[in-house]
Amino acid sequence: MTSHDWFVDQRAAFATRTLDPGDERLFADHLARCPECRAAVAAVERELGWLPMAVDPVVPSPEFLARALARTTGRSRWTRWETWVPLAVAAGVVLAAGLAVRNASDRADRLDRALARSRDALAALSDSVAILKRAAKILQASIEMDHHQGGLVIFADSASHRWNVVFHGLPPAPAGEKYQLWFITSDGMLRSVELAPNGQGPVFVALAMPGGVAKILGASLSMEPSDNATNHPRGKELAHLML
Amino acid sequence: MTRPEAAVQALSDPFRLSPGREASLRSRLIARDEAALAELIRVASPWLLGLAQSMLSDREESEEVVLDSFRIAWQKIGTLPTDHEQRLLPWLFRIVRNRAIDRLRARRRHRSKVERVRAFDPAGDGVAAVEPDESGQPGWHVHRTVHGALAALPEEQRAAIQLAYFQGLSQSEVAAQLGIPLGTVKTRLRLAFDKLRGALHPLRDWLA
Repeated sequence: MTSHDWFVDQRAAFATRTLDPGDERLFADHLARCPECRAAVAAVERELGWLPMAVDPVVPSPEFLARALARTTGRSRWTRWETWVPLAVAAGVVLAAGLAVRNASDRADRLDRALARSRDALAALSDSVAILKRAAKILQASIEMDHHQGGLVIFADSASHRWNVVFHGLPPAPAGEKYQLWFITSDGMLRSVELAPNGQGPVFVALAMPGGVAKILGASLSMEPSDNATNHPRGKELAHLML
Repeated sequence: MTRPEAAVQALSDPFRLSPGREASLRSRLIARDEAALAELIRVASPWLLGLAQSMLSDREESEEVVLDSFRIAWQKIGTLPTDHEQRLLPWLFRIVRNRAIDRLRARRRHRSKVERVRAFDPAGDGVAAVEPDESGQPGWHVHRTVHGALAALPEEQRAAIQLAYFQGLSQSEVAAQLGIPLGTVKTRLRLAFDKLRGALHPLRDWLA
């Protein structure tokens, strides 16, 4: 049966891809020549567009959102961080140790300090990577300022109540001012850390949530006078992110 | 006013997008705004993963399909018609379903799929009951409406839809699975889709 009635009967099945593969090819060939069926199939697709929402939602794994963002934008470095950053730091530690041993007698103290700094750096990076892997929420804002295009990204780990903050693309703050990060809490604004870009690359900060606060609702970034050490923003707000 | 329409309008959902907000989200996506992309991923992922997992029965493969679908959507967002007839989330659903069906067919997994669903009980509705304490999930009121539309189908039509649409079996495979003639499967699916089109019509104006 290949009369037009058959195609009319099978429009919904074709639109939902429930036809057998052979019938699907037959219908596709017909569709190329039949504007009436094309319009009808498009209408069925629109009308049944929400049908998939009958399934139960599946909670993404903690790292899924970061992976999706990285895969979609083609920035695979986010996922490669997990392996190459600790490895690179570890390699640096080994190299530093090897070089230092050659001049061991007079450089022992400096070697100890270098190793300690490297261990701290490795621990900090491992910590940051752990937050990235567990981040349940990703907040992001684009910031345009003085012809610079930058942004603020927060990977929020609700399990450990810590954030990994990435601030990128903006120049150092003008003299007498600073980039100030704020927690937006249920008790009001709370001053967090100063973000100090050096114009060379992004700023990475891992933050623990402040104690004694009822609830963290989000974060704000503003350009503040350098002497503002209060919990009251006075400068221009650059980004406002809510959890 | 039909019952689903009343349900949609009666339920408030803070994640529901206004026409202006969806237009803004589309514009930002077309402008390659990664904040907009992150927002889309956060809202859509649970539903897309639910659909992919329903069809593929494999968590890891489902994640791959959804990741790939976001990449395709990010590349093709500029080709999406701007007449508001095509909503973002249904468009994403279609991409995910097509990818999942392609995988099922390309890997010749239908046979094992049939084996896996042999225990399927056509008397059941195949979709978990809606729990009121899950209403905080974005899009939950749409889930309830669609769930209600499926539950209102006659049992034999619901079984055919469950196997063909939500588990990715072809009509012939559904016939084999249920032990009924192919023509009967075609008729049941056509009747079921006709009813669902009517029941889901009010959702055309829902955005995401």
